[in-house]
Amino acid sequence: MRVGGFWQQAKEIARKDLLVEGRAGEALYITIPFGAVALMLIPLAIGTDRPLLAQVGPGMFLAVSLLFGMLVAFRQTAADTPPQQELLTLLGTDPAAKFVGRAATSTLLLVVFEIVLVPVTILLYNPGRIPGWPWLILVLAMLASGLALVGTLAGSVTAGLRTRNTLTPLLVAPLSMPLLLGSAQVVEALKQEQSILLWITLLATMNLALAVIGVVTARPLEESSR
Amino acid sequence: MRERSYQALSLMAIAAIAVGFTVATTVPPERVQGEFAKIMFVHVPSAWLAFLAFGVTMIGGAAWLIRKTPIWDRVAAASAEVGVFYTALALMTGMIWGYPVWGTFWDWSDARMMSTAIMFFVYVGYLALRRSIPDPETRARRSAILGIVAFVQVPLVYFSVTLFRTLHQGTTVVRPDAPIDPEFLRALMINLAAFTVVYAAFMTWRTRLARLEDELEETEAVADFEIAGSGITAPNLEEAPDHV
Repeated sequence: MRVGGFWQQAKEIARKDLLVEGRAGEALYITIPFGAVALMLIPLAIGTDRPLLAQVGPGMFLAVSLLFGMLVAFRQTAADTPPQQELLTLLGTDPAAKFVGRAATSTLLLVVFEIVLVPVTILLYNPGRIPGWPWLILVLAMLASGLALVGTLAGSVTAGLRTRNTLTPLLVAPLSMPLLLGSAQVVEALKQEQSILLWITLLATMNLALAVIGVVTARPLEESSR
Repeated sequence: MRERSYQALSLMAIAAIAVGFTVATTVPPERVQGEFAKIMFVHVPSAWLAFLAFGVTMIGGAAWLIRKTPIWDRVAAASAEVGVFYTALALMTGMIWGYPVWGTFWDWSDARMMSTAIMFFVYVGYLALRRSIPDPETRARRSAILGIVAFVQVPLVYFSVTLFRTLHQGTTVVRPDAPIDPEFLRALMINLAAFTVVYAAFMTWRTRLARLEDELEETEAVADFEIAGSGITAPNLEEAPDHV
C-alpha cells in the first residue's frame, strides 16, 4: 500500500532530507564556508585591482555558486544507503516523488547558499548597483532550482558507484553550462539596460526540461540501483 | 560478419579517405582564406558525423530500454566513442583554422565553439559513466538514460549559429541559396561520404570488440564461479605407498 499521494510523498522525502542535513550540517557548515573562502581566494589569484574586481564580481559569484553548488546538490546526506533505499521501496515510495522531494531540498539549500554568498560578494568585490537588480532574485532562484535538478538527476545516475564523488561533477558541470550562461547574460543585460526575456526564457526552459527528464527517468534509474 | 567483410570495410575506409584527400588537394584555393579554407573538408564532415554518432547513441539507448538486447547497448557505446573522436577532431580543426583566419584559436564569445566544447564534455562524462559501472545491465540502463538526455545538446549546438549571432558563420550548406562554390561543395560532399564510410568502419570494429569484451567477461565470470566440491580431488590410487 502506498503511503500518501505523490506530493505528500515528495514533501515527506524533502522533510527527511532536511532533517538529515540539519543533523549532519554538510552543506550549511562545510560547503557554504568553503564557497566563501573561494570568493576570498580569487582576488589573490587575479590581482587586487578594485575596478577589475568590481567588474568580475558577479561572474565570480555565479561561478562559485555553480561549482560549490554542485557539492550541495550531491552532498553525501542526499545519497540513500541500501537499507534506506529498501525501506523506501517497501513503503511504496514513488521514485518520481523521491526525485521531486530531493530536488526541492537541494533547491532550498542552494538558495540559502546564495543568500549567504551574495553579501560576501558585495563586501569583497563591491560590484556597484546593478539597474533592475530585483530581477536577480528570480534569476538566483532559477539557478538554484536548475542546479538542484541537474545535481539530483546526476546523483541518481551515479548512485552506488565507487566513482560517484568524481564522476558526478563531470556530468553536472557541462550540463549546467546553460544555467551559468543564462544567469551571466541576465546580469550583463541588466547592466546595459537591455531586454532579459531571452535569457529568462532559457533558464525557465532548462528548469522545465530537467524537471520533466528527472520525473520520467526516475523509475528506470531506481530499478537500476537495486 | 565474417573476417573478410571487416577487412573489406577497413580497406574501403582507407580508400575513401585517400579519395577525399586527393579531391581536397585538387580544389583551387579559396579567394580570401587561401589554402586554410580546405580545413573545412575535415572540420565540417567531422562535426556532422559527430551529430550522427550521438543520434545513434540516443537511438541505441532507447532501443536497449525497449528491447533489452545487448547489441543496442554496444551500438550506443561504440557510437558515443566515435562521436567523441569526431567532436575532438572538429574542435581541433576549428581551432587550427581559427588562428590564421580569426586571429585566435579560441573565441569565448562564440556560441558554436562553446556549445560544441560542452557537448564534447557531456559525452566524455557518458563514457566515464560506462567505465564506472561493472554490472552490464546497470551500465546499459543508466548510460541509455544519459545517452537520451545528453542528445539535447545536439540541436543546441546545431542551432547555436541561428540563435546567437556570434563569430561562427551561419548555416551555409543546407541553405537553398547556399553561398558556396559548386566545386568546393562537391569536394565537401565527397569528404562527407568518405568520413561516413570511416564512421561505419569504426562502428563495425568497435561493436565487434565490445561483443568480444562481453564474451570474455562472461567466460571469466563463469571461471571465477567456484563449483561446490571443487576443492576435493580424487585419491591417486596408482601411486599409493606399499605398506606390505
